[in-house]
Amino acid sequence: MLPEAVVAELRRIVGRESVIDSANDLRIFERDGSIEGAVPDAVVLASTTEQVARVMKVAAKYRIPVVPRGAGTGLSGGAVTIRGGIALQVTRMRRILEIDPVAQTALVEPGVVNQELSLVAAQHGLFYAPDPSSQKACTIGGNAAENSGGPHCLYYGVTTNHVLGMEVVLADGSVHWVGGDVPDRVGLDLCGVLVGSEGTLCAITKIKVRLLSIPPSVATLLAAFPNIETASQAVSAVIGHGIVPAALEMMDSVTVGAVEAHYHAGYPTDAGAVLLVEVDGIAESTRELMAAIGKILAENHGYGLREAQTPAERDLLWQGRKGAIGALGRIKPNYYLHDGVVPRSRLPQVLSAVGEIGEHYKLPVANVFHAGDGNLHPNILFDMRDHEVLHQVESAGEEMLRAVVELGGALSGEHGIGLEKSAFMPWIYSEDDLDAMHRVKDVFDPAGMLNPGKIFPDPSRKAVHLAGRTGLAVEAKWW
Amino acid sequence: MVVNNPHELRGKAVSSRGPLNKAPSIEKPASAEQLAKTLHDAATQKLAVIPVGGGRARGMGDPASRADVELHTTRLDRVIEHSQADMVVSVEAGITLEALQAELAKAGQFLPLDPFNSPGHTIGGLLASGWTGPLRMRFGSPRDFLIGIRVALPDGRLATGGGRVVKNVSGYDMMKLHYGALGALGVIVAASFKVFPRPMHDVTVTSDGGWEDTSRALATPVAPSALELFSDGRVLARYTGSPDAIKRVVGELGWKTADGAVWEEHSRHAHPTWARIGAPREKLRVLLDGLSDWWASPGAGVAHWAAPADASAVRAVRQKAEASGGSLVMLDAPDDFMRDVGAWGTPPETIAIMRNLKRAFDPDAVLNPGRFVV
Repeated sequence: MLPEAVVAELRRIVGRESVIDSANDLRIFERDGSIEGAVPDAVVLASTTEQVARVMKVAAKYRIPVVPRGAGTGLSGGAVTIRGGIALQVTRMRRILEIDPVAQTALVEPGVVNQELSLVAAQHGLFYAPDPSSQKACTIGGNAAENSGGPHCLYYGVTTNHVLGMEVVLADGSVHWVGGDVPDRVGLDLCGVLVGSEGTLCAITKIKVRLLSIPPSVATLLAAFPNIETASQAVSAVIGHGIVPAALEMMDSVTVGAVEAHYHAGYPTDAGAVLLVEVDGIAESTRELMAAIGKILAENHGYGLREAQTPAERDLLWQGRKGAIGALGRIKPNYYLHDGVVPRSRLPQVLSAVGEIGEHYKLPVANVFHAGDGNLHPNILFDMRDHEVLHQVESAGEEMLRAVVELGGALSGEHGIGLEKSAFMPWIYSEDDLDAMHRVKDVFDPAGMLNPGKIFPDPSRKAVHLAGRTGLAVEAKWW
Repeated sequence: MVVNNPHELRGKAVSSRGPLNKAPSIEKPASAEQLAKTLHDAATQKLAVIPVGGGRARGMGDPASRADVELHTTRLDRVIEHSQADMVVSVEAGITLEALQAELAKAGQFLPLDPFNSPGHTIGGLLASGWTGPLRMRFGSPRDFLIGIRVALPDGRLATGGGRVVKNVSGYDMMKLHYGALGALGVIVAASFKVFPRPMHDVTVTSDGGWEDTSRALATPVAPSALELFSDGRVLARYTGSPDAIKRVVGELGWKTADGAVWEEHSRHAHPTWARIGAPREKLRVLLDGLSDWWASPGAGVAHWAAPADASAVRAVRQKAEASGGSLVMLDAPDDFMRDVGAWGTPPETIAIMRNLKRAFDPDAVLNPGRFVV
């Protein structure tokens, strides 16, 4: 609970109705898309940059933690107020301020929903490339804070490659523009540093993004494989041939079963794994690339190759992929999702480790992920109402991440470190590495009031440091 | 290493810029750890350190206010690991771009980076200076494909950011902090990159049609990977990728085919007094109107200008560039000229934050003092 005087000050800034502090209402803001929750002391619904700045000043004055929050779809606990304080909700800032079809840019407020931006930009023949599976709900502000990815980031790159500039509010309430739409700006790349900083360095109040021309032709192919190993080898073979598709996604048999039961998209339920491959461009190039890809997949044990013949068929295939995690609810009501990344050639090894870990803990695991990037998404399926199982789930998740790191990978490809993985940061970074990151934190937020308890390991939250299953030493000193 | 090169010699002369009592000592450490120790020793004595790679961008920035130690990375020239299947390479900072490309070529891969004033750039120098070339239009700058970095700091620590995977949000993006920072926060000792497959097909066409023809090339259904316009109206367009698609586009343009070797020749471009202009794409033409001796990447919004020895002319162009939201940065010039016009122009609005970052990493301001904006 915040002191009444503070609540009154906040109400003077945003209006009476826009500060939520009743215990019941606050519970709505307890979680994001991850497992662990914590109730904020107050939720402030800001509508303008000026309000965000004034709220930040009040928080600084009373030393109250602030956690900027978009749609709350994040998967790493980034929006969870683990140390209490203010959840600074920006979803009322939802205007698309400008679309410049000549410069191919858009200026948006942080609460604009990812998919909405692409829908509006489509009127100009343009789209916004990063497409997280939660794009129907997640916000551009949240995407920028987390440096989110998505299936099409294989070819197009992740959020940081598409954010040109931002208006940000720092912990002291000062407002700044960082970056811009002109190349080779003078000075340090503050925009690049702030994208992906998970709300620990600033609140984002405007974002200028790059838009791309909608490709005239798109081809989408579904292929079945006997197992995950052969599908992984096929992925490496495609890219090894010098082809970088727009998207290259894999689903295992558990996922395919759930997706097919739910969407009836024509996914082959007898397959050990399926690949969804998409190429775009002009018709000449998509035809040529798809023919080459089809040949490579067939040579690598792919079967039942099926190219979407109509846009509706393509949409249905993607609906299955992007809705896969929801469909897994048919198996168990809850999931715990990690997003470690490994060098692509290590996919078969890491997936077999993931399978073993699931079996060890007797937990069903469904894999649906960005295979082209080596970005795993093992979903550990469970029922939250069973209190005993939660600890097992977390241990299994930790072991999976450990396997990722032992194979030369990273903790997160697109979901962020947040609360969930902060304890594991010393697995991949030395004390000196983390010290350098801390210097950046101290410059932007010297009092440590912005999203405290995230990214950096918190000594009070220890990792179990389980022994790995791959028999390999952690390649921490990889230089 | 190219030694008989006028720019190289000039580069050596640059190190004696500023009010020096004696020539700086030259250190060439053989490992990252040694480099970090040398840097730390110098910092402890508050000696000014000028990091040097291939020396190709030595002229960039304001004349250093002090230069006691030249810290060369040239002995750190190993490929640490090239994982062909993962299309990822890790190298030490002192390797030249050419040596790295030769290694990648063995696997049919490449780094899409073709900076001017080539050959001889080191990877560390390219990352610190932020220099790019025509391929930026399609592939972006190293900002977009640098996936890991290791930096020696003045306190002797070696700090790593990122990793060896192509997609990574584990911790802050330390690559962005050091890219283009001209060594002001630390000395880059190693880097990892996402690399690219050699295109299936690579065709260059040329015309003399000036701005109108660049607009035509930019409007083709497949964008060129590189598009360069010269002040004499010559246009070079490079199309890479699917043979069928390129055939169609090149057919529609109807320009003459040029030898691909023209790009290597183009990358040698440099000038004793030259500037880089960055501007919104649609404003580049107006900015360059009336100037001579320039070449531009209209698709990226970047131009390079062999500027006349006339400070007021440079200032006038800079003023126009800044008014359009862009910048004019001097890449090299005689010291007096550089002091007169200034290397960087108007400091950014966020300069105070940048200074705080500088202090956090280099509290005694020993790295390239006076040369960068912080």
